[in-house]
Amino acid sequence: MISGLVQLFLWQGLGELLSKFFLPSIPGPVLGLLLLLAFLCLRGQVDKDLADVADAFRQHLGLLFVPASVGVLLFLPELQTHALAVSTALLVSVILTIAVTAIVLKVFWYFSLKRNKGITREQRHE
Amino acid sequence: MSNRLPISEIWVYLSGDPLFALIITLATYQLGYLMYVRAKRHPLVNPVAIAVILTCLIIDALDMPYEKYFEGAQFVHFLLGTATVALAVPIYYGFKRMQGKIFHIWVALTAGSTVSIVSAVAISKLMGASDNIVGSMYAKSVTAPIAMGIAERLGVSPTLTAVFTVITGMLGAILAPYILNACKVHQWWIRGTAIGVGAHGLGITRAFSVNEEAGIYASMAMGLNGVISAIGLPIVLTYLRPHLGF
Repeated sequence: MISGLVQLFLWQGLGELLSKFFLPSIPGPVLGLLLLLAFLCLRGQVDKDLADVADAFRQHLGLLFVPASVGVLLFLPELQTHALAVSTALLVSVILTIAVTAIVLKVFWYFSLKRNKGITREQRHE
Repeated sequence: MSNRLPISEIWVYLSGDPLFALIITLATYQLGYLMYVRAKRHPLVNPVAIAVILTCLIIDALDMPYEKYFEGAQFVHFLLGTATVALAVPIYYGFKRMQGKIFHIWVALTAGSTVSIVSAVAISKLMGASDNIVGSMYAKSVTAPIAMGIAERLGVSPTLTAVFTVITGMLGAILAPYILNACKVHQWWIRGTAIGVGAHGLGITRAFSVNEEAGIYASMAMGLNGVISAIGLPIVLTYLRPHLGF
Protein backbone atom coordinates (compact mmCIF):
# COMPACT_ATOMS: atom_id res chain seq x y z
CA MET A 1 0.00 0.00 0.00
CA ILE A 2 2.64 2.53 1.08
CA SER A 3 5.07 1.55 -1.63
CA GLY A 4 2.33 2.04 -4.23
CA LEU A 5 1.63 5.54 -2.94
CA VAL A 6 5.32 6.40 -2.86
CA GLN A 7 5.67 5.31 -6.48
CA LEU A 8 2.70 7.44 -7.53
CA PHE A 9 4.03 10.50 -5.67
CA LEU A 10 7.44 10.07 -7.28
CA TRP A 11 6.00 9.89 -10.80
CA GLN A 12 3.75 12.84 -10.02
CA GLY A 13 6.74 14.84 -8.77
CA LEU A 14 8.72 13.99 -11.87
CA GLY A 15 5.76 15.05 -14.03
CA GLU A 16 5.41 18.34 -12.15
CA LEU A 17 9.10 19.10 -12.66
CA LEU A 18 8.88 18.34 -16.38
CA SER A 19 5.77 20.50 -16.69
CA LYS A 20 7.36 23.37 -14.80
CA PHE A 21 10.56 23.51 -16.80
CA PHE A 22 9.84 22.01 -20.23
CA LEU A 23 6.16 21.57 -21.10
CA PRO A 24 4.14 24.21 -19.27
CA SER A 25 1.02 23.66 -21.41
CA ILE A 26 0.48 20.10 -20.10
CA PRO A 27 -0.52 19.56 -16.45
CA GLY A 28 2.20 17.85 -14.39
CA PRO A 29 0.03 14.89 -13.29
CA VAL A 30 -0.75 14.06 -16.94
CA LEU A 31 2.98 13.95 -17.68
CA GLY A 32 3.40 11.78 -14.59
CA LEU A 33 0.71 9.47 -15.97
CA LEU A 34 2.53 9.20 -19.31
CA LEU A 35 5.89 8.51 -17.61
CA LEU A 36 4.35 5.80 -15.44
CA LEU A 37 2.60 4.30 -18.48
CA ALA A 38 5.89 4.18 -20.38
CA PHE A 39 7.54 2.58 -17.37
CA LEU A 40 4.80 -0.07 -17.09
CA CYS A 41 5.01 -0.86 -20.81
CA LEU A 42 8.78 -1.30 -20.57
CA ARG A 43 8.49 -3.42 -17.47
CA GLY A 44 5.64 -5.51 -18.82
CA GLN A 45 3.82 -5.85 -15.48
CA VAL A 46 2.22 -3.90 -12.64
CA ASP A 47 3.37 -4.68 -9.11
CA LYS A 48 0.65 -5.58 -6.66
CA ASP A 49 1.06 -2.61 -4.34
CA LEU A 50 0.73 -0.15 -7.18
CA ALA A 51 -2.26 -2.00 -8.65
CA ASP A 52 -4.05 -1.92 -5.26
CA VAL A 53 -3.52 1.81 -4.75
CA ALA A 54 -4.51 2.59 -8.34
CA ASP A 55 -7.67 0.55 -7.89
CA ALA A 56 -8.59 2.38 -4.68
CA PHE A 57 -8.12 5.72 -6.41
CA ARG A 58 -10.23 4.63 -9.37
CA GLN A 59 -13.09 3.50 -7.14
CA HIS A 60 -13.24 6.68 -5.09
CA LEU A 61 -12.09 9.20 -7.65
CA GLY A 62 -15.33 11.07 -6.99
CA LEU A 63 -14.42 11.94 -3.40
CA LEU A 64 -11.41 13.90 -4.58
CA PHE A 65 -13.39 16.44 -6.54
CA VAL A 66 -15.93 17.19 -3.84
CA PRO A 67 -13.93 20.18 -2.45
CA ALA A 68 -13.71 21.87 -5.84
CA SER A 69 -17.33 21.12 -6.75
CA VAL A 70 -18.58 22.71 -3.52
CA GLY A 71 -17.33 25.95 -5.07
CA VAL A 72 -20.50 25.75 -7.17
CA LEU A 73 -22.00 27.82 -4.33
CA LEU A 74 -20.15 30.81 -5.73
CA PHE A 75 -21.67 30.29 -9.18
CA LEU A 76 -25.28 29.51 -8.27
CA PRO A 77 -26.81 32.82 -9.47
CA GLU A 78 -24.93 32.57 -12.77
CA LEU A 79 -26.00 28.96 -13.28
CA GLN A 80 -29.63 29.78 -12.52
CA THR A 81 -29.73 32.51 -15.17
CA HIS A 82 -28.33 30.15 -17.78
CA ALA A 83 -29.92 26.92 -16.59
CA LEU A 84 -31.57 26.08 -19.91
CA ALA A 85 -28.42 26.67 -21.96
CA VAL A 86 -26.31 24.59 -19.55
CA SER A 87 -28.68 21.65 -19.42
CA THR A 88 -29.28 21.54 -23.17
CA ALA A 89 -25.56 21.77 -23.93
CA LEU A 90 -24.69 18.99 -21.47
CA LEU A 91 -27.49 16.67 -22.55
CA VAL A 92 -27.01 16.98 -26.32
CA SER A 93 -23.25 16.80 -25.99
CA VAL A 94 -23.33 13.58 -23.95
CA ILE A 95 -25.63 11.86 -26.42
CA LEU A 96 -23.52 12.92 -29.41
CA THR A 97 -20.22 11.96 -27.74
CA ILE A 98 -21.29 8.43 -26.94
CA ALA A 99 -23.03 7.91 -30.28
CA VAL A 100 -20.14 9.23 -32.39
CA THR A 101 -17.46 7.24 -30.55
CA ALA A 102 -19.50 4.04 -30.84
CA ILE A 103 -20.37 4.56 -34.51
CA VAL A 104 -16.77 5.31 -35.54
CA LEU A 105 -15.59 2.12 -33.84
CA LYS A 106 -18.44 0.14 -35.37
CA VAL A 107 -17.55 1.34 -38.87
CA PHE A 108 -13.90 0.35 -38.35
CA TRP A 109 -14.99 -3.00 -36.96
CA TYR A 110 -17.29 -3.61 -39.92
CA PHE A 111 -14.52 -2.88 -42.43
CA SER A 112 -11.92 -5.00 -40.68
CA LEU A 113 -14.43 -7.85 -40.52
CA LYS A 114 -15.10 -7.52 -44.22
CA ARG A 115 -11.38 -7.45 -45.00
CA ASN A 116 -10.73 -10.52 -42.88
CA LYS A 117 -13.52 -12.38 -44.64
CA GLY A 118 -12.00 -11.35 -47.98
CA ILE A 119 -8.63 -12.77 -46.98
CA THR A 120 -10.07 -16.05 -45.80
CA ARG A 121 -11.99 -16.41 -49.06
CA GLU A 122 -8.85 -15.75 -51.12
CA GLN A 123 -6.95 -18.25 -49.03
CA ARG A 124 -9.65 -20.81 -49.67
CA HIS A 125 -9.36 -20.19 -53.42
CA GLU A 126 -5.66 -20.80 -53.26
CA MET B 1 -20.16 27.78 36.35
CA SER B 2 -17.16 29.91 35.53
CA ASN B 3 -15.04 27.00 34.32
CA ARG B 4 -17.63 25.79 31.80
CA LEU B 5 -16.42 26.27 28.25
CA PRO B 6 -18.92 28.34 26.28
CA ILE B 7 -20.21 26.53 23.20
CA SER B 8 -19.34 29.45 20.98
CA GLU B 9 -15.72 29.14 22.00
CA ILE B 10 -15.63 25.44 21.15
CA TRP B 11 -17.22 26.30 17.83
CA VAL B 12 -14.67 29.01 17.04
CA TYR B 13 -11.90 26.55 17.75
CA LEU B 14 -13.43 23.74 15.69
CA SER B 15 -14.37 25.78 12.64
CA GLY B 16 -10.91 27.28 12.47
CA ASP B 17 -9.36 23.83 12.23
CA PRO B 18 -8.80 22.17 8.85
CA LEU B 19 -10.07 18.95 10.41
CA PHE B 20 -13.62 20.27 10.37
CA ALA B 21 -13.72 20.72 6.59
CA LEU B 22 -12.15 17.31 6.15
CA ILE B 23 -14.75 15.69 8.38
CA ILE B 24 -17.65 17.26 6.47
CA THR B 25 -16.18 16.28 3.12
CA LEU B 26 -15.43 12.68 4.02
CA ALA B 27 -18.56 12.08 6.11
CA THR B 28 -20.95 13.39 3.45
CA TYR B 29 -19.17 11.32 0.80
CA GLN B 30 -19.35 8.25 3.03
CA LEU B 31 -23.08 8.83 3.48
CA GLY B 32 -23.51 9.33 -0.26
CA TYR B 33 -21.56 6.16 -0.96
CA LEU B 34 -23.69 4.13 1.47
CA MET B 35 -26.84 5.41 -0.22
CA TYR B 36 -25.33 4.58 -3.62
CA VAL B 37 -24.59 1.00 -2.56
CA ARG B 38 -28.07 0.70 -1.03
CA ALA B 39 -29.61 1.91 -4.29
CA LYS B 40 -27.77 -0.95 -6.10
CA ARG B 41 -25.37 1.57 -7.67
CA HIS B 42 -28.01 3.41 -9.62
CA PRO B 43 -26.33 6.30 -11.48
CA LEU B 44 -28.92 8.80 -10.25
CA VAL B 45 -27.86 8.21 -6.63
CA ASN B 46 -24.42 9.64 -7.31
CA PRO B 47 -22.25 9.79 -4.16
CA VAL B 48 -20.38 12.86 -5.41
CA ALA B 49 -23.56 14.80 -6.09
CA ILE B 50 -24.93 13.83 -2.67
CA ALA B 51 -21.68 14.84 -0.94
CA VAL B 52 -21.53 18.16 -2.79
CA ILE B 53 -25.15 19.07 -2.04
CA LEU B 54 -24.88 18.13 1.64
CA THR B 55 -21.56 19.93 2.08
CA CYS B 56 -22.97 23.04 0.40
CA LEU B 57 -25.99 22.95 2.71
CA ILE B 58 -23.84 22.49 5.80
CA ILE B 59 -21.32 25.25 5.13
CA ASP B 60 -24.14 27.54 3.99
CA ALA B 61 -26.06 26.90 7.21
CA LEU B 62 -22.93 27.56 9.26
CA ASP B 63 -22.13 30.74 7.33
CA MET B 64 -18.73 29.39 6.55
CA PRO B 65 -17.12 31.08 3.55
CA TYR B 66 -16.02 28.75 0.74
CA GLU B 67 -12.40 29.89 1.05
CA LYS B 68 -12.40 28.85 4.69
CA TYR B 69 -13.85 25.44 3.84
CA PHE B 70 -11.32 24.93 1.08
CA GLU B 71 -8.41 25.63 3.44
CA GLY B 72 -9.20 22.35 5.12
CA ALA B 73 -10.55 20.43 2.15
CA GLN B 74 -7.49 21.18 0.04
CA PHE B 75 -5.82 18.09 1.49
CA VAL B 76 -8.38 15.95 -0.31
CA HIS B 77 -8.22 18.18 -3.37
CA PHE B 78 -4.46 17.74 -3.57
CA LEU B 79 -4.78 14.01 -4.20
CA LEU B 80 -6.46 14.67 -7.57
CA GLY B 81 -3.04 14.88 -9.15
CA THR B 82 -1.96 11.58 -7.66
CA ALA B 83 -5.20 9.96 -8.81
CA THR B 84 -4.47 11.19 -12.32
CA VAL B 85 -1.08 9.49 -12.30
CA ALA B 86 -2.76 6.29 -11.08
CA LEU B 87 -4.88 6.23 -14.26
CA ALA B 88 -1.76 4.90 -16.00
CA VAL B 89 -2.56 1.46 -14.55
CA PRO B 90 -6.01 0.97 -16.19
CA ILE B 91 -4.68 2.42 -19.45
CA TYR B 92 -1.86 -0.11 -19.35
CA TYR B 93 -4.31 -3.00 -18.79
CA GLY B 94 -6.38 -1.70 -21.71
CA PHE B 95 -3.29 -1.50 -23.96
CA LYS B 96 -2.50 -5.12 -23.23
CA ARG B 97 -5.93 -6.20 -24.42
CA MET B 98 -6.53 -4.05 -27.42
CA GLN B 99 -3.67 -5.17 -29.64
CA GLY B 100 -4.44 -4.33 -33.27
CA LYS B 101 -7.24 -1.96 -32.32
CA ILE B 102 -5.09 0.89 -31.07
CA PHE B 103 -5.42 2.98 -34.22
CA HIS B 104 -9.22 2.54 -34.33
CA ILE B 105 -9.58 3.48 -30.71
CA TRP B 106 -7.35 6.49 -31.15
CA VAL B 107 -9.43 7.79 -34.08
CA ALA B 108 -12.72 7.11 -32.27
CA LEU B 109 -11.53 8.86 -29.11
CA THR B 110 -10.41 11.91 -31.04
CA ALA B 111 -13.69 12.05 -32.95
CA GLY B 112 -15.74 11.55 -29.78
CA SER B 113 -13.97 14.17 -27.71
CA THR B 114 -13.99 16.69 -30.58
CA VAL B 115 -17.75 16.25 -30.97
CA SER B 116 -18.18 16.52 -27.22
CA ILE B 117 -16.31 19.82 -26.98
CA VAL B 118 -17.65 21.41 -30.15
CA SER B 119 -21.28 20.55 -29.41
CA ALA B 120 -21.20 21.66 -25.78
CA VAL B 121 -19.37 24.91 -26.50
CA ALA B 122 -21.45 25.75 -29.57
CA ILE B 123 -24.82 25.03 -27.95
CA SER B 124 -24.07 26.92 -24.74
CA LYS B 125 -22.68 29.86 -26.71
CA LEU B 126 -25.63 29.97 -29.12
CA MET B 127 -28.04 29.86 -26.23
CA GLY B 128 -26.36 32.89 -24.72
CA ALA B 129 -24.56 31.42 -21.71
CA SER B 130 -21.89 33.58 -20.04
CA ASP B 131 -18.22 33.25 -21.03
CA ASN B 132 -17.49 31.62 -17.72
CA ILE B 133 -19.94 28.82 -18.48
CA VAL B 134 -18.95 28.40 -22.12
CA GLY B 135 -15.26 28.20 -21.14
CA SER B 136 -15.98 25.50 -18.58
CA MET B 137 -17.64 23.35 -21.26
CA TYR B 138 -14.28 22.66 -22.93
CA ALA B 139 -13.03 20.00 -20.59
CA LYS B 140 -16.29 18.63 -19.20
CA SER B 141 -16.10 15.29 -20.96
CA VAL B 142 -12.67 14.55 -19.51
CA THR B 143 -12.31 12.81 -16.15
CA ALA B 144 -12.48 15.47 -13.43
CA PRO B 145 -8.88 15.50 -12.16
CA ILE B 146 -7.50 16.04 -15.65
CA ALA B 147 -10.38 18.35 -16.60
CA MET B 148 -9.55 20.66 -13.72
CA GLY B 149 -5.88 20.69 -14.65
CA ILE B 150 -6.84 21.64 -18.20
CA ALA B 151 -9.26 24.32 -16.95
CA GLU B 152 -6.47 25.91 -14.91
CA ARG B 153 -4.21 26.02 -17.96
CA LEU B 154 -6.97 27.52 -20.11
CA GLY B 155 -7.74 30.13 -17.50
CA VAL B 156 -11.37 29.04 -17.05
CA SER B 157 -13.12 28.04 -13.85
CA PRO B 158 -12.00 24.64 -12.52
CA THR B 159 -15.03 24.62 -10.23
CA LEU B 160 -17.63 24.94 -12.97
CA THR B 161 -15.66 22.44 -15.03
CA ALA B 162 -15.80 19.95 -12.17
CA VAL B 163 -19.54 20.48 -11.73
CA PHE B 164 -20.24 20.01 -15.45
CA THR B 165 -18.04 16.93 -15.40
CA VAL B 166 -20.05 15.36 -12.60
CA ILE B 167 -23.36 16.12 -14.35
CA THR B 168 -22.00 14.74 -17.63
CA GLY B 169 -20.97 11.55 -15.86
CA MET B 170 -24.43 11.11 -14.37
CA LEU B 171 -26.24 11.80 -17.66
CA GLY B 172 -23.88 9.57 -19.61
CA ALA B 173 -24.13 6.66 -17.20
CA ILE B 174 -27.93 6.80 -17.30
CA LEU B 175 -28.38 7.35 -21.03
CA ALA B 176 -25.53 5.23 -22.44
CA PRO B 177 -27.42 1.91 -22.70
CA TYR B 178 -30.26 3.54 -24.63
CA ILE B 179 -27.94 5.48 -26.95
CA LEU B 180 -25.83 2.40 -27.67
CA ASN B 181 -28.87 0.23 -28.32
CA ALA B 182 -30.27 2.89 -30.64
CA CYS B 183 -26.97 2.81 -32.57
CA LYS B 184 -27.21 -1.01 -32.66
CA VAL B 185 -23.79 -1.46 -31.10
CA HIS B 186 -23.50 -4.78 -29.26
CA GLN B 187 -19.76 -5.52 -28.97
CA TRP B 188 -18.75 -5.05 -25.33
CA TRP B 189 -15.43 -3.42 -26.12
CA ILE B 190 -17.10 -0.79 -28.32
CA ARG B 191 -19.80 -0.11 -25.74
CA GLY B 192 -17.17 0.23 -23.00
CA THR B 193 -14.96 2.58 -25.00
CA ALA B 194 -17.91 4.84 -25.87
CA ILE B 195 -19.04 4.99 -22.23
CA GLY B 196 -15.50 5.77 -21.05
CA VAL B 197 -15.26 8.72 -23.43
CA GLY B 198 -18.76 10.04 -22.77
CA ALA B 199 -19.36 9.37 -19.11
CA HIS B 200 -15.87 8.89 -17.54
CA GLY B 201 -15.74 7.74 -13.89
CA LEU B 202 -19.40 6.95 -13.37
CA GLY B 203 -19.64 5.34 -16.79
CA ILE B 204 -16.81 3.01 -15.82
CA THR B 205 -18.57 1.88 -12.66
CA ARG B 206 -21.67 1.22 -14.73
CA ALA B 207 -19.67 -0.62 -17.40
CA PHE B 208 -17.89 -2.86 -14.85
CA SER B 209 -21.23 -3.80 -13.30
CA VAL B 210 -22.49 -5.04 -16.68
CA ASN B 211 -19.42 -6.65 -18.23
CA GLU B 212 -15.76 -6.82 -17.24
CA GLU B 213 -14.39 -6.31 -20.73
CA ALA B 214 -16.55 -3.21 -21.14
CA GLY B 215 -15.19 -1.89 -17.82
CA ILE B 216 -11.55 -2.36 -18.80
CA TYR B 217 -12.09 -0.64 -22.14
CA ALA B 218 -14.05 2.15 -20.44
CA SER B 219 -11.21 2.80 -17.94
CA MET B 220 -8.69 2.87 -20.72
CA ALA B 221 -10.83 5.16 -22.88
CA MET B 222 -11.37 7.56 -20.00
CA GLY B 223 -7.65 7.80 -19.25
CA LEU B 224 -6.58 8.11 -22.88
CA ASN B 225 -9.27 10.69 -23.59
CA GLY B 226 -7.91 12.73 -20.69
CA VAL B 227 -4.36 12.51 -22.01
CA ILE B 228 -5.35 13.42 -25.57
CA SER B 229 -7.41 16.37 -24.36
CA ALA B 230 -4.75 17.60 -21.95
CA ILE B 231 -2.18 17.66 -24.72
CA GLY B 232 -4.44 18.72 -27.59
CA LEU B 233 -6.85 21.26 -26.11
CA PRO B 234 -4.37 23.98 -25.10
CA ILE B 235 -2.63 23.71 -28.49
CA VAL B 236 -5.86 23.80 -30.53
CA LEU B 237 -7.29 26.62 -28.45
CA THR B 238 -4.31 28.94 -28.74
CA TYR B 239 -4.91 28.88 -32.51
CA LEU B 240 -8.71 28.99 -32.37
CA ARG B 241 -9.28 31.47 -29.58
CA PRO B 242 -8.74 34.66 -31.59
CA HIS B 243 -11.34 33.43 -34.13
CA LEU B 244 -13.87 32.44 -31.51
CA GLY B 245 -13.77 35.83 -29.91
CA PHE B 246 -13.52 34.34 -26.44
